[in-house]
Amino acid sequence: MSCEIKQKGRVGTINPIFTCQPAGAQYVSIGVKDCIGIVHGGQGCVMFVRLLISQHLKESFEIASSSLHEDGAVFGALNRVEEAVDVLLMRYPHVKIIPIITTCSTEVIGDDVDGVVIKLNEGLLKEKYAGREVHLIPIHTPSFVGSMVSGYDVAVRDFVRYFAKKDKTSEKINLITGWVNPGDVTALKHLLSEMQIEANVLFEIESFDSPLMPDGNSVSFGNTTIDDLTATGSALGTIALNRYEGGKAAEFLQKEFDIPAVIGPTPIGIRNTDTFLRNLKKMTGKPIPESLVRERGIALDALTDLTHLFFADKKVAIYGNPDLVIGLAEFCLDLEMKPVLLLLGDDNLSYPNDSRIQALKEKVDFDMEIITNADFWELENRIKNEGLELDLILGHSKGRFVAIDNNIPMVRVGFPTYDRAGLYRHPVVGYAGAIWLAEEMANTLFTDMEHKHNKEWILNVW
Amino acid sequence: MPYHEFECSKCIPERKKHAVIKGPGEDLTHALPLGYLNTIPGSISERGCAYCGAKHVIGTPMKDVIHLSHGPTGCTYDTWQTKRYISDNDNFQLKYTFASDVKEKHIVFGAEKVLKQNIIEAFKAFPDMKRMTIYQTCATALIGDDVDAIAEEVMEEMPEVDIFVCNSPGFAGPSQSGGHHKINIAWIKKKVGTVEPKITSDYVINYVGEYNIQGDQEVMLDYFNRMGIQVLSTFTGNGSYDELRAMHRAHLNVLECARSAEYICNELKVKYGIPRLDIDGFGFEPLSTSLRKIGLFFGIEERAQAIIDEETARWKPELDWYKERLKGKRVCLWPGGSKLWHWANVLHEEMGVDIVSVYTKFGHQGDMEKGIARCEVGALAFDDPNELEGLEAIDMLKPDIIFTGKRPGEVAKKVRVPYLNAHAYHNGPYKGYEGWVRFARDIYNAIYSPIHQLSHLDISKDEIPTGAGFQTATMISDVNLSEEVLSSSTLRQYTGKYDSVSDLRKKTYPEFKKKERSE
Repeated sequence: MSCEIKQKGRVGTINPIFTCQPAGAQYVSIGVKDCIGIVHGGQGCVMFVRLLISQHLKESFEIASSSLHEDGAVFGALNRVEEAVDVLLMRYPHVKIIPIITTCSTEVIGDDVDGVVIKLNEGLLKEKYAGREVHLIPIHTPSFVGSMVSGYDVAVRDFVRYFAKKDKTSEKINLITGWVNPGDVTALKHLLSEMQIEANVLFEIESFDSPLMPDGNSVSFGNTTIDDLTATGSALGTIALNRYEGGKAAEFLQKEFDIPAVIGPTPIGIRNTDTFLRNLKKMTGKPIPESLVRERGIALDALTDLTHLFFADKKVAIYGNPDLVIGLAEFCLDLEMKPVLLLLGDDNLSYPNDSRIQALKEKVDFDMEIITNADFWELENRIKNEGLELDLILGHSKGRFVAIDNNIPMVRVGFPTYDRAGLYRHPVVGYAGAIWLAEEMANTLFTDMEHKHNKEWILNVW
Repeated sequence: MPYHEFECSKCIPERKKHAVIKGPGEDLTHALPLGYLNTIPGSISERGCAYCGAKHVIGTPMKDVIHLSHGPTGCTYDTWQTKRYISDNDNFQLKYTFASDVKEKHIVFGAEKVLKQNIIEAFKAFPDMKRMTIYQTCATALIGDDVDAIAEEVMEEMPEVDIFVCNSPGFAGPSQSGGHHKINIAWIKKKVGTVEPKITSDYVINYVGEYNIQGDQEVMLDYFNRMGIQVLSTFTGNGSYDELRAMHRAHLNVLECARSAEYICNELKVKYGIPRLDIDGFGFEPLSTSLRKIGLFFGIEERAQAIIDEETARWKPELDWYKERLKGKRVCLWPGGSKLWHWANVLHEEMGVDIVSVYTKFGHQGDMEKGIARCEVGALAFDDPNELEGLEAIDMLKPDIIFTGKRPGEVAKKVRVPYLNAHAYHNGPYKGYEGWVRFARDIYNAIYSPIHQLSHLDISKDEIPTGAGFQTATMISDVNLSEEVLSSSTLRQYTGKYDSVSDLRKKTYPEFKKKERSE
């Protein structure tokens, strides 16, 4: 009965759980208003990431490429960045912010993106765009370091570092959500609003659940403004919900502007949401209102219907972004489930030292494995060749065939979830998220019982 | 034929020569859009990279192969599960993808050792798989890893395996088209002629430039089998690695997508003298002509004609049901490369729609030439489209439907124009007689969806209609049809199944006796 933390044994990746750093930076960039990023690299680094995100959100949005071709790879491609900035500014008059996101190719050839930003600021922007507010932000995200998760973390920090300014301290807090869905942002803002707390939310992506309007509207975009980003430097405090997706920015604000930072926990499940509210209360002095006691009660009511009757002892494997995986595992424990396998898809060396993982290691009273630098083969091989038995898989759509081919029910959660309709709309955080997750897990198990004729009659009287 | 200048692109004058409007009485000598040039940075082009052109488009449809990308995981992850090229071996190539997972230390010290470990690991994880393709990426091309040397080394140590290396990093060319070229040439240079096939028919072809999107290849294979033709290999959809090594023994290369695969046909002609026959599996008439041409080449026209007659009788009444209802509908035909000319004329002829615009993401001037020749007068043709130009074109042309990729499809949705996936199809396959009806049905269902009537209503301003009740697609489409069409006893809607491909895999075919040769 123990929890073991280990790295994947192989050097290669069979079916990756994560994509690379520039994708994370791109996901950040679409959360900001009047912002179009330029990815400095080959065109595929943008085309496929736009496709991936648009598959997930069922929306379109804009990200540009410097379109690195062979000549640039040989002679340097900074001229492509200069031209891209100019073309973008000419054709998109609303654009104020252009993050310049590097990739493996342009990092390997050693293009000095910071240098070209200085050059553009002194030259093109002064000469051609005098009087126009334009911010160029270099973001270094070589693909051979970290993963999309660290790319997200780095990009949030770089946006904050660029804009944050100390003014007189405001009553607002900073809420850094981490890599979440539009539905999560709605749920989080609802909790803040119930507590009458104002916040600079990084990032306001609710608008990606965007309507089809009678007058036609073509592109979705995030709504976090330059003012929001600037104000992060004067906030009362920062709450970064995910250690690995926004933690760096919170630490930066603490170090640079003495803004107290609370990092985590990811408010998945009742317990973590309680802690989040406690942190909000402590930071702002505002009480937790009766309305949230009631909401929590509704969630508990829903969960109690399910836990010991259906969830108890169910073995679960969970993969995806680390904070999400840990949050889901903690929630599963509260529901009497047994998260027997957690897969974290990059080689971040600090995962084993994460206090939440340490707690699992010390306290879990069943056999559990936590694999870092994991790929899907770590999951599939255990099922196919090593006798791992699972009742449920929690994770994103890229792992769908592990579930399908091995007849294991699966709840899609995380990013991306393109093979199910509308999941970006539903929160996994807060009490609302706890209800949605638990009921989605239950209904998935029920459907599976019916499909396999596995005591499906039990539901007759439930 | 005047060049067309987009309002949104006036500030980038070099774009002007990438678009034309086909004027009345004008031909291609007046103007032809530029094509396959370097992309303008920051234009938000829809192009991909040469790595994806090689690996994702052409390499991966091969079904019995471990497809390993040598680089960081992103290239692999991003090109995984975004296409619908199925196979009859339970979709191994869709389900499994391999990355050598190059990290910073490998960039500094070289990644050849880690590549070798990867190869061995992958074969160990899938002991039944003995074939592998390796794709270079930007990072490993730039650090100068000698992938070929590693592959050779492994093949010496593991004689039962065979490995193909494709050096086509993302930056190698203006678009994915660069990668198509590179993998074509690499395959014929390195692999063709290394396996001797068993010849079982007097009529032997390679089926080239066919990627089995939603089962296209299997539909066409059915026709070839019924004609008694041996399909030695398919390049590459549902194709087998070792079969593709034996391409040199075919009597004829039957070429479908000339944009992505004419290179290998041309090389097979030069090196082995195998003639190239361009065919077209889309549309009743082009497909019938294609089968006839193949029949003619081998002197078995009657076998082709039998299929044409049977299939036409079975499916034409269904196609015509849709044609009556699609007449005059305005189509933006905005695919990647070859479909603009594969589809332009036949859509007009057989479904009655008007092609008001064609574009190509990665096509060359030759594709434009054919596309423009085949689309309607007044159509707007443009090369290397970008986001703003697409929107401006939609605004100008007011199409009823757009055939394009998934993400641009989301843009179309927001301006309330339905889209069909031109790359992966909606409810394909679209090749074959039945497939063409399936395409017509998808177009019909998209255009006449009752949802559009709802989405054009502004409940804050417009009179909200009450009492009219629901409207089905047919109620909407049939309003202005003649009595003759409405009461036709022959025309009918599609009667096939949701899955039209799986049953083909169970079919058996009559034996055609091979002629004795006295050589």
